[in-house]
Amino acid sequence: MPALFRPAPRLVRHLLLIVAGLFMLYPLLWMVSSSLKPEELIFREPGLVPTAVTAENYTQGWDALKHSFGYYLWNSAVITSLAVIGNLVACSLAAYAFARLEFPLKKMWFAIMLGSIMLPHHVTVVPQYIVFAKIDWINTIWPIVVPKFLATDAFFIFLMVQFIRTLPRELDEAAAIDGAGYWRTFVQVILPLCVPALATTAIFTFIWTWNDFFTQNLYLTNSDNLTVPVALRQFMDTGGDSSWGPLFAMSIISLGPIFGFFLAGQKYLVQGVATTGLK
Amino acid sequence: MTLSPAPAGTTEVPVTPPEKAGASHLGRLKGSRSRSQAWAAYLFLAPWFIGLFAITIGPMIASLYLSFTDYSLLSEAHWVGLDNYEKMFVQDDRFMTSLKVTTTYVVVSVPLQLAFALGLALVLDRGLRGLSFYRSIFYLPSLLGGSVAISILWRKIFGVDGIVNSFLGLFGYEGHGWVTSPDTALWTLIILHVWTFGAPMVIFLAGLRQIPQSLYEAASVDGAGRWRNFRSITLPLLTPIIFFNLVLEVIKSFQSFTQSFIVSGGNGGPVDSTLFYTLYLYIKGFKNYEMGYAAGMAWVLLLIIAALTGVNFLMSRFWVFYGDEK
Amino acid sequence: MKRILAATAVTLVAISATACGSDDDSDSGGKTKVVFSYWGSDARQKLTESAIATFEGKNPTIDVEGDFSDWDSYYEKLATKTAAGDAPDVMSIEIRGLAEYAGRATLADLTGKVNTADLDQDVLKAGQVDGKQYAIPTGVNAFPMIVNRATVEKAGQKVPDDTAWTWDEYISIAQKVTEKNDGKVWGTEYNENPAFLQLFAAQRGEQFYKDDKIGMSEQTVKDWWILLQKIISTKAGPSAAQMLETGTNVDQALLATNASAFGSWWSNQLTTLSKGSGQELDLLRMPKAEGATTAGMFLQPAMYYTISSKTEKADAAQKFVDFLVNDPEAGAILLSDRGLPTNPKVVAAIKDKLTPADQKVLTFIDSIRSELSPIAIPPKGSMEMEDILKRATDSVLFDKATADDAAKAFLTEANAALTK
Repeated sequence: MPALFRPAPRLVRHLLLIVAGLFMLYPLLWMVSSSLKPEELIFREPGLVPTAVTAENYTQGWDALKHSFGYYLWNSAVITSLAVIGNLVACSLAAYAFARLEFPLKKMWFAIMLGSIMLPHHVTVVPQYIVFAKIDWINTIWPIVVPKFLATDAFFIFLMVQFIRTLPRELDEAAAIDGAGYWRTFVQVILPLCVPALATTAIFTFIWTWNDFFTQNLYLTNSDNLTVPVALRQFMDTGGDSSWGPLFAMSIISLGPIFGFFLAGQKYLVQGVATTGLK
Repeated sequence: MTLSPAPAGTTEVPVTPPEKAGASHLGRLKGSRSRSQAWAAYLFLAPWFIGLFAITIGPMIASLYLSFTDYSLLSEAHWVGLDNYEKMFVQDDRFMTSLKVTTTYVVVSVPLQLAFALGLALVLDRGLRGLSFYRSIFYLPSLLGGSVAISILWRKIFGVDGIVNSFLGLFGYEGHGWVTSPDTALWTLIILHVWTFGAPMVIFLAGLRQIPQSLYEAASVDGAGRWRNFRSITLPLLTPIIFFNLVLEVIKSFQSFTQSFIVSGGNGGPVDSTLFYTLYLYIKGFKNYEMGYAAGMAWVLLLIIAALTGVNFLMSRFWVFYGDEK
Repeated sequence: MKRILAATAVTLVAISATACGSDDDSDSGGKTKVVFSYWGSDARQKLTESAIATFEGKNPTIDVEGDFSDWDSYYEKLATKTAAGDAPDVMSIEIRGLAEYAGRATLADLTGKVNTADLDQDVLKAGQVDGKQYAIPTGVNAFPMIVNRATVEKAGQKVPDDTAWTWDEYISIAQKVTEKNDGKVWGTEYNENPAFLQLFAAQRGEQFYKDDKIGMSEQTVKDWWILLQKIISTKAGPSAAQMLETGTNVDQALLATNASAFGSWWSNQLTTLSKGSGQELDLLRMPKAEGATTAGMFLQPAMYYTISSKTEKADAAQKFVDFLVNDPEAGAILLSDRGLPTNPKVVAAIKDKLTPADQKVLTFIDSIRSELSPIAIPPKGSMEMEDILKRATDSVLFDKATADDAAKAFLTEANAALTK
């Protein structure tokens, strides 16, 4: 390629990415713009640029429910943080065993692990609810948090197994020669090389737990326990009068923490082997 | 027990005392080593085992039992043998519709979404300023995917007065209600699925970083071009991750529920054109009070997905390359 | 290793210990806790919480816990809780769920338990299944034709006398409104609500449900579709695809955005429609079929209060329901949120507080009271009816099936759902 044209492709790539980005973000932009419109204009006025701008939806939405919206954000933050820790610890432990250790019936357990991802949760929810109701966990955060510490999100086990399997075995063997046991190999050799997978797990757990309407709606019914996704639904009324303005405004606010977490986490996503300098 | 490897006693302590860890590898007698390895494995798996038996297996078996009953959620279950399964395959047209709808959805949207995600992951991996910004932007739609606001947003895009129609109007094409017409409704959901490609993209990005930079350096010494690098380094080393995404996306798409639930208003309409399998299962179980039937559907789905995953695993021998294989 | 094993054992024991433990969290602090489940919007939640606070002020020994859910997940949650033996003490239910829940022995008979003496006795009957008062209606709605007179008149048309107008007249006025506005404003919107078909059938002397089966003839269902098709083909109303986009979202209704002159919605939705439109909207009787003697108007309970048959706090639960339906203070808070109250004394007490739109509804309902058809409780299995009808209707409107085939399929499927 002639040197003359070198800068052009870079610029073109930027342009393409920006155009594609705008296209992808149109729905979000529409939501942002609608959240800034007076409520009666949202559906009467289809365009992206609001003719009248107001913060009313934000101030109103923030205080529309029993508690201020910050209260629900806090509830969600607590549950989500615990879920992230739980998944990181429990799933990486299990993944290491599946990826690196030999034990009887390994294939069977692995198949069961995969199988547990495959059953749609709508049918297990009733038996599960019965279990949690029996031990009096309804209206506590335990039905949502404890399963994470018990690695029931098999998705992440599988994810980490796949990552660990891309790591050369020589690493483990080198560690073993240095006298490291399984635990030390796991903590000092495997985990540091799995940072991208761990970051992925943390990010997804955070986002999915933050957005998980179904479980939280079922188990946290007391109006003091509600979390963000459940609180958001209160702006919706299928039979009647939905508060679209506040819904959009609060939806955008609730995107804040997950987007922030993603921004913070994504640098670890891309800081894998490349920076640790694997030979 | 004293001979067992270190991990056990030291879970709370991050670093194993060297003497103890070393001890486990001193006696490299084959039998004791594999036994100690098994012990270690079970300990690593302990939380998962507890979860599996306490939270996962019990409800799964319960649902298997319920699939042979007429359980309605509101009253006692009675044994009906294979009635539910027979009804599913012999009488229930909507069951077949839901299978067809879901299969179309999976077959079209999974490859599309993965291709999209991989393509963008490659573009967003290295070599351009502001990549972290772009990555975040492209991830944003996935944050929104299951939001209630989607029902409205999708109508704003694909509705009669939506932006797609305004755009087509420039070319003199008359408006069409894409979301609410039976012929096009499913396609808007497929687009919705492809649009939320953030999760596989992130996994691809993480996977790309697992590929040692040194390999590329070595290749460039050999004078390899970009395409050859991609073909002979990136792609093969990424196969476990591609495989992972493929398996998981197939499983997840077969279980797709939220999109149709939100966009169709919970009934899979118009005229069952977006009747996803799990949506139908949900309708049967919770709206029609046929939980026994729904449980049966869940097990049929599990078998379908398991069979597909099995095929995926078998096929993977031919194209997936693991770093731990020699 | 030993420590891990010990920790595991402790956890397991702890779990099983709590599992065996008693689960009555109810009488904390000497108060009786009553759980009250309902669905709705943020506005309803605020009203309900405030009514609960008033009730607790009057009954300091009772602690009412509102269990709120959005509509889409309400029944799923309720069913799951019922299945787990964890049903709320007081449950809101709407008419389609009544037979289902009452028929499966999940509801308590409230005859003589809640004071119903002052309630509208005709409406009260709508809470009875097999002669037992399983449910207390919260309030009533009618399904009228709503009109924006200004839009009609601007198109040079007159709103006819609603005691005598016919479907043909309605369509021809609507068609002219569309024409005058170059299609920017439609003459009418329409919907697939079973209430619409119920009215249509009643005009022919047929009932939607009769003896736990569909009471309508194939011809009636077909003619209803022909009516809808005529609205579309004459451009009196928009295409089916556009109509479906509104769905049940009343705030996006064409009437609410001043994009149509006519439309049918539940009467308690008039407030929302008027708010959205900003113009004067009025209620009319439905148009009649040629030669019909009745417009088929009926009242339907907006929802019901019911009490779980498994509750251990029946007294407190009954007190709470009694408060909600009979106490003017509750009425003054809830107003028409759950339909216009069933208790005329409450209505009289709160009349001045109602919105202008609600007062219109009140006047309208009073004016049609003498011509109402009796309320029929849909039989068990009717939860599915709305979806079954919608599917059949859509298949006709989108040319996926002929009206003949769709009508046959609808009747078969609907009757099968009812006999399950």
